Amino acid sequence: MAASAAASCSLLNIFSLFLAYFLFSSVTTNENTTTGDFNTTQFGENVTYNFTDYYTTTQPTVFESATPTHPSHSSTVEPALPAEPLPVSGRTLTPVTNVDRLCPCDDHNDVCDINCCCDRECSEEVALFTSCSVPAVSGSSQLCSYDVAYYSLKTAIDGYSELQASVQKETKYDAFCIHSQNRVDGLSHPSPALPTGSNFESLFKQFTGFLFGSETSAQVAPTDLPASAGYQLGDVIVTAGESGQRGVFRLPAPGVTADCVNSPAAFLKDQSSRCSRRVVLDRDCSSPSALNMDTYTRIQLFGRKDEGAAAVPVEVVSVTLQSNTGTQTELKIPGGQSLRPVLLSPTLCGNVVLKVVYVIKYGPAGQIVNATVSLVLGFVREAMLPLEQHFRVMYVQDGGGETAVQHSGNPGYVVGLPLVSGTRTTEGIVRSINLRDTLSVLRSSEDQDCLQGPHQRSPVLFGLDTESGCTLRMDDAANCTLVSQVLLDVLRGPNYPQVVASFGNSPLDNPLDWVQIKSNYNPGEAGSCSIPLSLHLEIEWTKYGTLVNPQAGIVSIREVIQTNTSSWAVLSRGSNVLPIRTSVAFIPVSAAALPGYRAMPTFNARLPFDFFSPFV
Amino acid sequence: MAFYEVYSHPALIRYKTSVCTRATLFLAAVLCLTYIPPLLVAYRSQGFWIKRSTYEEQPVVRFQYQTLLVAATSTQGDFVAWSTFPHLNNMLGPKLRIPAVSVREEDQNQDGKLDMLVLQLQLPLKPEEQVFSVQLLLTFSYQLFRMSTVAMQSLAYVQHSSSVPGAKLSVSGDLRLQQRTPLPHRGLYDIYNVSVIDGSSPFASSYDLDSIIRSYQSRNLTTVLSCPMPVWTVGRAAASPFELNAEIRYPVEVISYRPGFWETIKFAWIQYVSILLVFLWVFERIQRFVFQNQVLTTVPIPLGKPHLS
Repeated sequence: MAASAAASCSLLNIFSLFLAYFLFSSVTTNENTTTGDFNTTQFGENVTYNFTDYYTTTQPTVFESATPTHPSHSSTVEPALPAEPLPVSGRTLTPVTNVDRLCPCDDHNDVCDINCCCDRECSEEVALFTSCSVPAVSGSSQLCSYDVAYYSLKTAIDGYSELQASVQKETKYDAFCIHSQNRVDGLSHPSPALPTGSNFESLFKQFTGFLFGSETSAQVAPTDLPASAGYQLGDVIVTAGESGQRGVFRLPAPGVTADCVNSPAAFLKDQSSRCSRRVVLDRDCSSPSALNMDTYTRIQLFGRKDEGAAAVPVEVVSVTLQSNTGTQTELKIPGGQSLRPVLLSPTLCGNVVLKVVYVIKYGPAGQIVNATVSLVLGFVREAMLPLEQHFRVMYVQDGGGETAVQHSGNPGYVVGLPLVSGTRTTEGIVRSINLRDTLSVLRSSEDQDCLQGPHQRSPVLFGLDTESGCTLRMDDAANCTLVSQVLLDVLRGPNYPQVVASFGNSPLDNPLDWVQIKSNYNPGEAGSCSIPLSLHLEIEWTKYGTLVNPQAGIVSIREVIQTNTSSWAVLSRGSNVLPIRTSVAFIPVSAAALPGYRAMPTFNARLPFDFFSPFV
Repeated sequence: MAFYEVYSHPALIRYKTSVCTRATLFLAAVLCLTYIPPLLVAYRSQGFWIKRSTYEEQPVVRFQYQTLLVAATSTQGDFVAWSTFPHLNNMLGPKLRIPAVSVREEDQNQDGKLDMLVLQLQLPLKPEEQVFSVQLLLTFSYQLFRMSTVAMQSLAYVQHSSSVPGAKLSVSGDLRLQQRTPLPHRGLYDIYNVSVIDGSSPFASSYDLDSIIRSYQSRNLTTVLSCPMPVWTVGRAAASPFELNAEIRYPVEVISYRPGFWETIKFAWIQYVSILLVFLWVFERIQRFVFQNQVLTTVPIPLGKPHLS
């Protein structure tokens, strides 16, 4: 800011001077020409001075004339101080303006700086110089006449260098040069305001923009809170430590990398995170660490933010033990006890926390009523490191029913939410409350084998076309009828639905709102056995309603199962494996909006009924 | 005796006719053909109404002294990280490694606008650690003043990884402005004057590089660090720190904007009138031919003849 002000000032000044040059050229010029006042004895007899006026086109290094130099080189004149300066701030130096006294390369006091030709200590060492690091020191080139101090080296007869220094008055024959400079501060920086006790804060504000350390971790002091402050959306949840100290409820989440960091959990923000832990099994298995379930269960949450709130302990609802093969069994643990991780062998650690799910029940005043946690423990082998842990927190309204029925849109489907599907029974349509038990497709696994279970499935999300698959090995396909049935189950998934809701919130008691899944697959065909090679779901959807708020609805859904029509050898083309694919395609069938023609406005004015009352 | 032209002046001849004549019809047709076709020609030859124009300006850029650094220290994915955000640093725990950073912003041409940022960062490393990749995020305050006043907070992102552990990464590039749509020609444009990284948030999700970059890239106006040639120096000694030197220049940008009403009219007027002049000349000749030769019957009133009626 200060620099830009100086720049604009100098521009203005140049302009006014330029005007003055043309209008009042008869005015006597008070050109303060400083000629070279060298102390010629200091440089020795090698130095030659030629004070000739010649005009050169070389561009010398321009130094702003207000460069403050070392105090020993300048005569310090105390300026008139408006206020008592702060004790440490000192005072500003008088700027050095003579070009022959400016020497920017003279860094060492009383020692010759190598290749610094303007250094006055270099009377003898100049013979060793190869070039001048600063060949010229110039005054402001905006003036019509300014001084330049030139420094150059000349090789003497004996091979050593000789210094040639000269101060020349350069003249500029330019229409826009400054002939007479009657305002000195136009071409130099204004003298800075001295910080005093009264203006320090304003100066600080003026000159500091951004700086390191400006980010401070603002901790909300508990005294600032109202008397009974409930939590609000996005607040961190306060925990009570063993000895009553307040902490923050933390839920591990991936930080800047995929590794777990202890991030606070935000109130009312459902969060599900997977992050990886780097552990050394024999060191971290038995010690209290992130693998221990106590870390996640021995927590007491404060019901409200304020000091006097009651602590709500986190209650362990269920502990599930997951075996190496992935089968899960629920453990019955007597209250208060916990399972500590045990090192079963140097490369195997048992009872390690794999998944933590908190369910926190909140009341309308923002208070925490109840908090439960369910855990999945498992075994960790050396090959499974870094370990992936899964953390989840859910917030449930107190008294609002344990599980609210979730819609996939209201009414139209929202892109990215799972399709709502169900099965037709004699009583009507039945659907699972859990949106994960819906129409789903096979998820690709690492072993890629279609017949090796259990398979993971991912729900069909509205609007997202997907493709995945698995492979079938030929030697597994010996029993065709069995393989065919197994493959169909793998592709369709367990409890394959029959109907799909046409809208995200289609009610169960309205069967017309549900669309039957059509299928081209006919298992009871001729005696020849056919293996399903691909399952393709074609979902046609359209937009209803206004152009501004269209509602997406499913019109029809079709399942296309391709089966092999030829023999194995032709299918696999010599290879031993056969890829089996599942795919989903969403096809928009909504017609484009048509420009509508407005009806001509009708003139609908009517006179008051008694307007002609005396005549009729 | 040779004669020479001593003086000349044009003589004005008036041709009169009544309203319901063919001459009147001809005149109306000529007027229409003179003034309307230039408009059509100018419009159909494209670019009649200018939709987008550009100007040059050097932005006022300030480094905001917000930094986020992640360095992978092993091929297994160990890392150290540091930021200027206290909440994130607290969360990082043992992964936090505080480097020595020196920053300098330079105004090289003394025009009051900063031209360059020099950032030097020295990351101390343990003997068993090596640096395989570096991710560095810097935030800037970016302002434009000439047409519309733009104030925004932007970022520069450096990412480099190598299979060979490095001793030094040197980045020298320009902070370029990227526009998706032109700026308005006037007014205040400060919808992006919000923090790129919410440093006051205690949650880890606020510092996720993926979501930071994604929400940043969804903006209409962004800056990118254009550094085509980062230099990765290998061969670090065990005791020496990893060095990261960045020189980021703030160059003059060509900014496109939507011209205002009067600028659009001005350029349209220039095009219209320049084509109109040709039509005026052509139809003037046609009219002269028609009336001089009495192709359409009119009453010529020669010069100097007194008024008849």
